[in-house]
Amino acid sequence: MNLLNIKYEKYKLPNGLEVILHQNKNLPLVAVNIWYKVGSAYEKRGKTGIAHLFEHMMFQGSENAAKEMHFRFIQEAGGTLNGSTTFDRTNYYEKLPANFLELALWLESDRMGFLLPALTLEKLDNQKGVVANERLERYENQPYGLAWEKLLGCLFPENHPYSWPTIGYLDDIKSYTLEDVTGFFKNYYSPSNACLVVAGDFESVQCKDLIEKYFGGIPSNGYSSKNSFEIPSLDKTIQVKYEDNVQLERIYIAWHSDKAYTNDDAGLDIISDILCGSKNSRLYKKLVYEKEIAQDVSAMQISGELSGIFMIIATAKPGKDIDELKKEIFYELQNLQENGVTARELVRCKNGIKSSFIYSLQQIDNLADHLNAYNFYFSEPNSFIKDLERYEGVNNDSVKSISKRYFTKPNVQLTVVPQGKGSL
Amino acid sequence: MSIDRSKIPHPFQEIKFTLPEIKNFILSNGLKVLFVQREFLPIIRMNLITGCGSIFDPIIKNGLANLFSMMIDEGAGDYNALELSEEFDILGSSFNASCNHDNIFLLVRTLSENFERSFELFCSIILKPHFNDQDFQRERRKVEVKLLQQKDEPEELAYIAFNHIVHGKNNPYAFPVLGYEESIQKLSIDEIIKFYNKNFSPDNSYLIVVGNISEADLTASLENYLSNWRIKSDLIKPKFEFAKNRKSISILNKEGAVQTEIRVGHRSSSRNTPDYFSKTMMNSILGGQFTSRINLNLREAKGFTYGATSNFSYYINSGEFCVSTSVSTENTLEAVTEILNELENIKTGVTPDELDFARSSMVRKFPSQFESDDQIASNLSLLAIQNLPYDYYDKYLDNIKSVSIEEVNQAAVKNIKLDEMSIVLVGDKNKLLNSFASSRFGDVQIINEKGEIVQ
Repeated sequence: MNLLNIKYEKYKLPNGLEVILHQNKNLPLVAVNIWYKVGSAYEKRGKTGIAHLFEHMMFQGSENAAKEMHFRFIQEAGGTLNGSTTFDRTNYYEKLPANFLELALWLESDRMGFLLPALTLEKLDNQKGVVANERLERYENQPYGLAWEKLLGCLFPENHPYSWPTIGYLDDIKSYTLEDVTGFFKNYYSPSNACLVVAGDFESVQCKDLIEKYFGGIPSNGYSSKNSFEIPSLDKTIQVKYEDNVQLERIYIAWHSDKAYTNDDAGLDIISDILCGSKNSRLYKKLVYEKEIAQDVSAMQISGELSGIFMIIATAKPGKDIDELKKEIFYELQNLQENGVTARELVRCKNGIKSSFIYSLQQIDNLADHLNAYNFYFSEPNSFIKDLERYEGVNNDSVKSISKRYFTKPNVQLTVVPQGKGSL
Repeated sequence: MSIDRSKIPHPFQEIKFTLPEIKNFILSNGLKVLFVQREFLPIIRMNLITGCGSIFDPIIKNGLANLFSMMIDEGAGDYNALELSEEFDILGSSFNASCNHDNIFLLVRTLSENFERSFELFCSIILKPHFNDQDFQRERRKVEVKLLQQKDEPEELAYIAFNHIVHGKNNPYAFPVLGYEESIQKLSIDEIIKFYNKNFSPDNSYLIVVGNISEADLTASLENYLSNWRIKSDLIKPKFEFAKNRKSISILNKEGAVQTEIRVGHRSSSRNTPDYFSKTMMNSILGGQFTSRINLNLREAKGFTYGATSNFSYYINSGEFCVSTSVSTENTLEAVTEILNELENIKTGVTPDELDFARSSMVRKFPSQFESDDQIASNLSLLAIQNLPYDYYDKYLDNIKSVSIEEVNQAAVKNIKLDEMSIVLVGDKNKLLNSFASSRFGDVQIINEKGEIVQ
């Protein structure tokens, strides 16, 4: 499909910074998006959450932009900005009116090269407080909010960096010193470990000159991340139960699965859609619609650089037995292994994916982040078509064989129960 | 190359931005249509907005409009509920229905190549919904359980309680869209059918269409599929009684909660207020952005919270002013104190720099608000919902630019009402009672999950 064929230019500065430019003059907007190849998967047990805490520190000002000025400059220019941290990478992005491109490049380069002179203990303590509250708000004070980190802890061995959540543990977050944060920056925030995407309405020559002007002089330590771990396996199924302030029981069933954009990754995405992606999907229809034993059911393939996680989550209706939900879920998984899927189910699912690819092209900041993601995983930014072809290639036979290989393996079954109902 | 990094780069020459052209027409049955043609991508989205949200729920039957919105796609025309959903899915199109206090929303998203078929399905939902009792019973059970789950969600509880307290129990905006456990038990499929026959009417609706379709093709489809949607009887407008809010602290107990959800505010004017732009600029300085006073204080100076915002929100017949944040239990009193200090401070005036910043930010952000079809559709929806003139966006920048510092200061004096501040805290009651018992912020009262005073 022609419109998914994204034209771009890619090159590397002598200091190792990768640059990807994509021109699109539909609207007078420009998106700047940087991926640093570091996330929580580069942490050690006992020192968790520093990648994410560091993301916060990147908004605390740099040598030439005082605290809060990063936000102020971009917002004054009518732009939007943020950052995010995952297992594998940290990204920073802004979208502005096209005439403010230079401002964004100045700010991004200042914190890439000149963050440390502006780093203070006061700023660190302040952001430790903010992140501690983020953890309280988004995890501890949310119903089922701690399920994800408990699940990771069961699924991955203790030394595997996917065994803790990206936000980190509270005690670790509180423990960080200026030396920790400085060391983290020196190790990982080198231009040689980053990729800059500029997408939108700009002139190519001018943009390249500005990138050279602002990023060219940033010294490099030559580091480029390479993280490698085997996908772990379980000897036997693990069943865990914990109590939370919730009204309804919920079960999480999880398997290790393939890494992002490899082998069975797309097939598992399709399977998750066939199981739970619509009213007619197999588990939704049976558990929520027909039998009404579940309030909700969802399935997802979450994949990163080191492993994937295939997960099914179901919440029991009041008075319904979680074991009954589990029995139905495994019955449908068995059914997939033996009988596969119908042609119509595959068409439904693939058409949905194709549409979502096209909708995703609407916003230039979203497109910029996609280019960075494809470059990260495929070393090829223009991979929308290749990505879509992964899904087109899934058929009845592959669904059956994937189901057989995964759903017969040991897994983690985590049940969250209302307070006072926890005895196993 | 050596450069002087301390120099803040100047913008290049001013950008050229042209607003998309908004077309409007009215069908013979009174349906108003707002349309923007966009040719970047082969996609189309439609919003049908019908002015019969939950404020039209009869008083002991809260939750009726919402259940109506959940029922409208449970089978229509030739298809039962599952078949209908399948028909959309096979096209890669999506359909979604929802409800708020003022309106019912039916949304469709489709590739241009599937427009005709998607529109046909969409219209069968509007014109020929099935409304079977069996589907009704199941959807109602879904709401029952949703209401149960809400008891675990602190933000949701805080929102419902705040809304109830500032609007007062004789006002239809005081009741949650989902209704209550006991009120949804009073509903039946007959009520849903009655609601459809009475309230769901073209002369009470707007259709918003944005995307890659010509005006001729669109009007042909509208003519073909929607011209026999008949006008229903007149809606009976709900009555609104507005009492002045009083200073109070309302605590909703969440035993052992590690955080407190905080809401501070009062009822405020509806959207047609003449000082809308001054209010908006004032709020941008106070709490509308990351760099606003409240967030800088509570997050960046104190480290109390992940984020804090203030907001004027607008219903058709009312409005609210609300500061919201969540902080750990032990910092709750100090956080509330800081919020009230900021509210007092803004009434003493803003600085010219603050106003320049707010103005610059809002003016320059304007083009990026017309990037996706979804954004344009929601901009058009605002015109429809709030009955704004169709040239609203043409005049928007002039309206922002012309707000003076005196007007912003007046907006603060007039719209931030310290003697009406209703404080809602969802958190650990005993600890909160201890710290707030002797505060100067008003009487402390204990409330239930509906926002009713129990003690």
